[in-house]
Amino acid sequence: MADSISSVCNLAILDKLSDGSIEEILESYNGFCAATDTLLNGAGDLSVGPQFVSHVHGLCKHGLESLLRDHFLGALERTFEKNGALKFWRHFEAFNDVSVEEEVFYNALEEISLEKQYQEKCLLILVHALQSYNHGSHDSNDYRVELFAKYQMSVSSVLMATLPRHFPEILHWYFKGRLEELSTIMGGDFPHDDDDDDDDKDDMDLDDKCKASYRSGQMEIDECYPQGRFLENNKLVNNIGKVVRDLRSLGFTSMTEDAYASAIFLFLKAKVHDLAGDDYRISVLESIKGWIQAVPLQFLHALLAYLGDSVSYDSVSSGLKSPLASCPSTFYPGIDTPSEGLVRWQLRLEYFAYETLQDLRITKLFEIIVDYPDSSPAIEDLKQCLEYTGQHSKLVESFISALRYRLLTAGASTNDILHQYVSTIKALRTIDPAGVFLEAVGEPIRDYLRGRKDTIKCIVTMLTDGTGGNPNVSGNTGDSLLEELNRDEENQENAGLDDDFHTDDKQAWINASRWEPDPVEADPLKGSRNRRKVDILGMIVGIIGSKDQLVNEYRVMLAEKLLNKSDYDIDTEIRTLELLKIHFGESSMQKCEIMLNDLIDSKRTNGNIKATITQTSQAGSELGDNGVSMDVFDATIISSNFWPQIQDESLNVPGPVDQLLSDYAKRFNEIKTPRKLLWKKSLGTVKLELQFEDRAVQFVVAPVHAAIIMQFQDQTSWTSKSLAAAIGVPTDILNRRINFWISKGILAESLGADSDDHVFTLMEGMVDSGKNGGTNGSIEDLIVADEEGESSVASVEDQLRKEMTVYEKFILGMLTNFGSMALDRIHNTLKMFCIADPPYDKTLQQLQSFLTGLVSEEKLELRDGMYFLKK
Amino acid sequence: MAAVNQDNTLVVATTTAPSNSKQSQPRAKTVDSQSVLKRLQSELMALMMSGDSGISAFPEEDNIFCWKGTIIGSKDTVFEGTEYRLSLTFPNDYPFKPPKVKFETLCFHPNVDLVGNICLDILQDKWSSAYDVRTILLSIQSLLGEPNISSPLNNQAAQLWSNQDDYRKMVEKLYKSPKA
Repeated sequence: MADSISSVCNLAILDKLSDGSIEEILESYNGFCAATDTLLNGAGDLSVGPQFVSHVHGLCKHGLESLLRDHFLGALERTFEKNGALKFWRHFEAFNDVSVEEEVFYNALEEISLEKQYQEKCLLILVHALQSYNHGSHDSNDYRVELFAKYQMSVSSVLMATLPRHFPEILHWYFKGRLEELSTIMGGDFPHDDDDDDDDKDDMDLDDKCKASYRSGQMEIDECYPQGRFLENNKLVNNIGKVVRDLRSLGFTSMTEDAYASAIFLFLKAKVHDLAGDDYRISVLESIKGWIQAVPLQFLHALLAYLGDSVSYDSVSSGLKSPLASCPSTFYPGIDTPSEGLVRWQLRLEYFAYETLQDLRITKLFEIIVDYPDSSPAIEDLKQCLEYTGQHSKLVESFISALRYRLLTAGASTNDILHQYVSTIKALRTIDPAGVFLEAVGEPIRDYLRGRKDTIKCIVTMLTDGTGGNPNVSGNTGDSLLEELNRDEENQENAGLDDDFHTDDKQAWINASRWEPDPVEADPLKGSRNRRKVDILGMIVGIIGSKDQLVNEYRVMLAEKLLNKSDYDIDTEIRTLELLKIHFGESSMQKCEIMLNDLIDSKRTNGNIKATITQTSQAGSELGDNGVSMDVFDATIISSNFWPQIQDESLNVPGPVDQLLSDYAKRFNEIKTPRKLLWKKSLGTVKLELQFEDRAVQFVVAPVHAAIIMQFQDQTSWTSKSLAAAIGVPTDILNRRINFWISKGILAESLGADSDDHVFTLMEGMVDSGKNGGTNGSIEDLIVADEEGESSVASVEDQLRKEMTVYEKFILGMLTNFGSMALDRIHNTLKMFCIADPPYDKTLQQLQSFLTGLVSEEKLELRDGMYFLKK
Repeated sequence: MAAVNQDNTLVVATTTAPSNSKQSQPRAKTVDSQSVLKRLQSELMALMMSGDSGISAFPEEDNIFCWKGTIIGSKDTVFEGTEYRLSLTFPNDYPFKPPKVKFETLCFHPNVDLVGNICLDILQDKWSSAYDVRTILLSIQSLLGEPNISSPLNNQAAQLWSNQDDYRKMVEKLYKSPKA
């Protein structure tokens, strides 16, 4: 602007110019140009100064001030480009990869800075010359500011225009290198837990000795800060400061800031990864924070202080303190009061550290939860990070995909999935007490488990058995999940009670002020935070859909267990039942209770009957040699109405035993008229001893096995058909059951005359070679015969099939009378009228798939959304 | 060798409680609707599970006191191959009073009038609370094949009964399948 104005003026005076003055001007101008050249290329020789000044004055007389200024600046720029920039870049040319030696970098900077300083001196001469000419008419500072600004601009534009592409990277690596150096120096300076020594990094090993002195605690660090290191550290920071200042003066301000900021962040990230590692048993958040204060903040503080920024920050922004700045100043070793710039940096760095750690932990959340509760420090870290960053949704997404990929696959056993589910619940309960994210994370697991057949079984085992059916689970063995839950519950309830006791106004106010809104992701339909207390059992039952199914499964398992008991010891079962009652209510556990009561009653009745029967039998005829004494016989008397369906197989027990049974039943009938005993002869266990010529072997077997072996007492060889007839079981069952004795080496099988008639022979001289250790293993042999997966109680699947048959009949019944019905109506009708045991509790989808099944069986027809009977 | 039963421990027995069928013993005349409901529900369950062929009934959508019934004409009678829709309405003091049973589809039968009323002793004076939906339906099914000619509601049918071939033709002529 100024240029154009002055040139207009020049035009006005152009006419008045005399030849003489033109001559003068030309001479002055040539002199000026020559002086300028000498000055700029003079390699530090300022002797032409006075001559230069006189030429300037001469030109200025003729109002050519702007011309000479432009010329001078142009000359400066050209010279800079030639002498400064080109040389400067040449330093880096050799380093196409980014690893620039520190020395080279320093030298280059030094050189270009010297060049620039020299040019600035020259510029100053011009300024002085102009000032001396215009003495008094101008504010002396105007020239200076204006010219220097122009110069600065031309310098940076020259540099920018010639900037090699890899220069930002060079800067980045430079700062990274310096930071690493600094970190090495400060290595021992941040608080270290004693137990993570093992993952100390190489850079720390250098000053292991010094570090030892800091172990005692953070407070001491300040006191015994070794002067030497601080100086060294200061020297380093000063060097860096100088570099930054030089770069700034060359116009690389923002590039420099980018470079050191990114270097710090990358370094911090690497540090977080280093510290966090794969060990979830220790909390790393504190040491990360400590490190941030020890290294990057120290560095930044020194840097800002060197550049004088902190002062300006303080003075500028004291009026508008951000809320962030008001947070209590943390402890900075060697820093009196943190400047606002530093606080800002700290917040940035900590946020970044939190985010990095959070991301790291989230990606490993699956492993962390596998290790839970050992990994609870990591969970605690993650919780703090998430509170800071609020990126819960990231957690949910990543964890769900990890689950899908790693857990919810065919290869994972249901037990493992369930254990992981419980761990997930526990772990996420820490992170998010409201259970909002748990809801989201749990959903895929629940959905998946619903598709597995053995889910209910596994849940019940896990709830009631000590090890949860999973031998891999170490730790609280013998403690069922149920017990654990109960303990938790009690604790929670106690805490709840405490709250209730103190509900005075003050407490109410405290409660109210502690209220926090639900996270945004919360589903408003799911109720408020207070009601959403995380209930592990509830969530497990939620997998199955209804507690009835669970109770039912438990009943089947209980029946199995009780029927296989040979003593009447049911203490653990009673305890489990009581715990279940707490959770599921008295009424739903009623049948189980009756089952247990049956056992208790049996014990009493059994004792009673045996006491009275021995008297009579002693009074009457003595039992023969083969007879069985009543003493060795115990009966379990069950009220079959309340027990699950019992698989009944026909079986002819050996005569003496049969006699015993009928005696027993008769006696029972006498005592408990009008009740009668119906024996389930195939159930129960028999302890028996086989005496051979040279030894005796003991077994615990099912009655059918006992019946089989007893037949060999009198006759050592049987064909399968005749044996089956003798003990009253079908031949195929016999063939299956007799394998038990064959596998034990007691019986031998050979082909008979008939192709499908096998002959079984008793092996008198026991072949103990090879066959699982024979005699010395006789104690081990006291095993309950393998039931080949057959159980005495109808499994839940069988019951389910039975249930479905009921529904089928109902559906056929209603369609017979109503012609056609839509899915909805069938569903509602079943809900209303099918009040069987258990009542209809299926979802619309379940019903639909069932109906589809019926359609494919050609029992039903589906037309336009209406179901018909297939004619 | 000797296999000796050293310790024969456990055999499981079941007790059977003496049977007392609640349904056949009306204890009190005062019945609350709850017990009626229960009774009807258990009758429905029994009927569904019984699997008798040719009879069926089911409560209407929202009212367990109104049922629709279906009877298929027995084999070797003139009603073979026909299907009749009935309605059963239960009184509030069921089972002390019989339900009202009517044919919904036209049934040409000596003991059924043109609007479907049925003349059957167990649905009137011979009613006992021991009867249930299933026995009622079975009775009506057998009534089809063995009408009581002496007290007809439909005289034309009563007269025609003796000629089974003509009767069969009449049934076929008048019969309209309830499925629509």
